[in-house]
Amino acid sequence: MTQIVVVTHGRLGEELLRTAEMILGPQEGVHVVSLLAEERPETLQDKLDAVLQRVGADDTLILLDFLGGTPYNAVARCLRDSHIECVTGVNLPLLLEILSARDAFSAADLAQMAVRTGREAIKNLKPLLGPASDGA
Amino acid sequence: MEHDIADLGLVRIDDRLIHGQVVANWVKVLRSRRIVIVDDDVAADSFMQNVMRLAAPPGVTVEVYSLQEGINVLKGKPLQADKILVLLKSPQVAEQLYRNGVHFKVLNVGGLGAAPGRRPVFKSISLSDEELAILQRLVDRGVEVTLQTVPGEKKVSLASLLSRL
Repeated sequence: MTQIVVVTHGRLGEELLRTAEMILGPQEGVHVVSLLAEERPETLQDKLDAVLQRVGADDTLILLDFLGGTPYNAVARCLRDSHIECVTGVNLPLLLEILSARDAFSAADLAQMAVRTGREAIKNLKPLLGPASDGA
Repeated sequence: MEHDIADLGLVRIDDRLIHGQVVANWVKVLRSRRIVIVDDDVAADSFMQNVMRLAAPPGVTVEVYSLQEGINVLKGKPLQADKILVLLKSPQVAEQLYRNGVHFKVLNVGGLGAAPGRRPVFKSISLSDEELAILQRLVDRGVEVTLQTVPGEKKVSLASLLSRL
């Protein structure tokens, strides 16, 4: 099963996972690496390296909050490894999608699915709903 | 006084080089369209060059040079039109550039992580005694050396830092 590592500024990743588990139930093989305020970049790199070492040679998909910044710098260095993939802009819909699908797909396939699902989940809702009928 | 002073926008020492919001802030303040990284390791590593390019703010070009190439590109250039943000990983590289004719007026020390021999001196900046001596030599040659992580935040001059250590 593809291992998932969520890497974010603050506790966003921890709460994303907690929220996903509220919907899908407890998950195995999902790891969170958080960059906390006033934490040094080297600390994040150490935490990430420790998680990746634990994961070992398993197919791994890293979900990153956004491109640029300390988490990006730390993660990008790890992407020379052929078994590690990464998607930026993690959101709840894409996390739910890949947690449900990861038994059957490689990290590379999951990365493509995550991008598709994450993008499609973002809607400008009001124009889609059309005009409201007045007080009917 | 040398008269081939390059009108560089800013030379900044940060061992993370291009680092998301930090660099975006400096680019905004300097109205820079061009980032020049001088670093032998990154110059020899096309993967890391792509990591840097992807992290650059939109519309800003990133050039990566070895120390020798950097000297050739930056030396004596009157680069008034295109404000350049030069990024380096260490005071050693800054001094090499200066000694070889890249006469920047302002040197910003922005981020240097902990390492053996280094001690924390200001915010996220750690420096060794040797690095402090290098910065002092640059001050002696007329460079304005300041420690500041992000524009608009508190900055200190090397002189006032040394008086406190």
